Amino acid sequence: MRYIYGHEMKQYWKTLLLWAVCVGGMGMACILLYSTMQEEMAAMADSFAAMGGFSAAFGMDQLSIATLKGFFATEVGTIHELGGAMFAAVSSMNILSKEEDGHTSEFLFSLPVSRGKVVWTKWGAVCTGLLLFHLICMGFYGMGFLALSEGIPVKEWFLYQAMQLLLGLELAGICFAASAFSRQNRLGVGLGLVLLLYACDLVSRVVPKMEKLSVISPFAYANASEILGTGKTAAGGALLGAGVLVLALWTAYVKYTGKDQT
Amino acid sequence: MDNQKTVIEISHMTKKYGKHRGVTDLSLTVEQGKVFGFLGPNGAGKSTTIRAMLGFIRFDSGRINLFGKDIRRHREEILAQVGYMPSEAMFYPAMKVREVIQLAAQVRGVDCGEEGEMLCERLQVDTEKKIRELSLGNRKKVSIVCAMQHSPRLFVFDEPTSGLDPLMQSTFFSLVREYVDQGATCMLSTHVLPEVRRYCDHVAIMKEGELQCVKAVTALTNAGARRIKWVRDGKREEFLYDRDLNELHRELAGHDITELLIEEPSLEEAFIEYYRT
Repeated sequence: MRYIYGHEMKQYWKTLLLWAVCVGGMGMACILLYSTMQEEMAAMADSFAAMGGFSAAFGMDQLSIATLKGFFATEVGTIHELGGAMFAAVSSMNILSKEEDGHTSEFLFSLPVSRGKVVWTKWGAVCTGLLLFHLICMGFYGMGFLALSEGIPVKEWFLYQAMQLLLGLELAGICFAASAFSRQNRLGVGLGLVLLLYACDLVSRVVPKMEKLSVISPFAYANASEILGTGKTAAGGALLGAGVLVLALWTAYVKYTGKDQT
Repeated sequence: MDNQKTVIEISHMTKKYGKHRGVTDLSLTVEQGKVFGFLGPNGAGKSTTIRAMLGFIRFDSGRINLFGKDIRRHREEILAQVGYMPSEAMFYPAMKVREVIQLAAQVRGVDCGEEGEMLCERLQVDTEKKIRELSLGNRKKVSIVCAMQHSPRLFVFDEPTSGLDPLMQSTFFSLVREYVDQGATCMLSTHVLPEVRRYCDHVAIMKEGELQCVKAVTALTNAGARRIKWVRDGKREEFLYDRDLNELHRELAGHDITELLIEEPSLEEAFIEYYRT
């Protein structure tokens, strides 16, 4: 199976590199910009923290945008969350369906390999891609912190990255399952789903009556401001996310191994 | 070489696509060392049969054994000994030909380097080109290499020569003959009747999802209808006749017959007769 795994990685390493460099690079640029905007940020911090639901939506009620940690959580955190989630959708939405969409399934499945093994190998490639994406981004952000001679809050930092990885895996798992049902390229659906879930999280934070929307959005447990501000995450949400991931993978396996090849 | 060994054994296989007909109660066997033609008009069920044989699709009832093993339970083991060439011959467009051939060999876990090189040379395959740069004919050649490089015991070809130039068609069939002479078996689904006449030992004809007949190619033209050509009462006529010849004889009584020729129909006519009835 390592050859199919290698083949998958080879097929999408350029996409991985492009997304990681763009998201990580943008994050690092934002961190570096902080030193030039430090005074303006300090002046704005109080007013940003007093904007009620809007402040809460971006976590500015828990962290001061005047500190690098607060600036990272509110600015870079948003870029990383959205960028990482969109990359998760891009890397998994077509990974199973592309064989039928590109008419390559007859070649692939004429080889002595079962559909089940193909499912797990492709999922392995998705996981590797997500892990590498987060490692590269962490590298960029770390370089930004080092350039400003700022220390990194290690415990919060790793918890945040772990939750970001779980967020990516959950969204990738959902898209992976959707890919098992589809015979065509449905990238738009995957990206739409990411934006919808992000919007659900945002609305749940801004509008008190819609607070329950946070239950369905995995962005709720991976919020940078909450994790970096309190050192904790919504454990229930994370557990639910892990459950959704397992269910999505099971669905993908059952559907893909049970369907006829077109 | 044991020519009596059954390589393909399909028993009462039925596959339906919802309410649509697929294949109904198909039973056939193919012996080792034979080139077996698989014929039928579009939608006759040939591709469904091949797909079920290779485990691409599930079937509703019946049994398919290749090399004596059930395809549903031993798919991977069976496919390791099969070389399949689909009619479309599609690969990953961004890959080089060399990489595709290598991937196929690596997944099979066998060293096909020497055989692959020989095939690429004989089929004049440019291994450094990207798949997206290839014409249908050149993609077919890559597909032939992928199907043959591991020297399988069974070949399954679905319209293999469409898109190939006559020279490559001839090279392809020479290769098939060489592998078959070494003990391999070949199932050839095609619409090109001269190919069947020249290269196949036996032929199965499918129509509307059902098997019409399995016969030796030579027997097919010797049985059934006859082509009748005559000049009766000054009028020239030509037609296929599949009833008792004594009846024809009685019909001619009292007529002025100046020319009469009764001959075997061509293979094409024999097939068309099966398609029609």
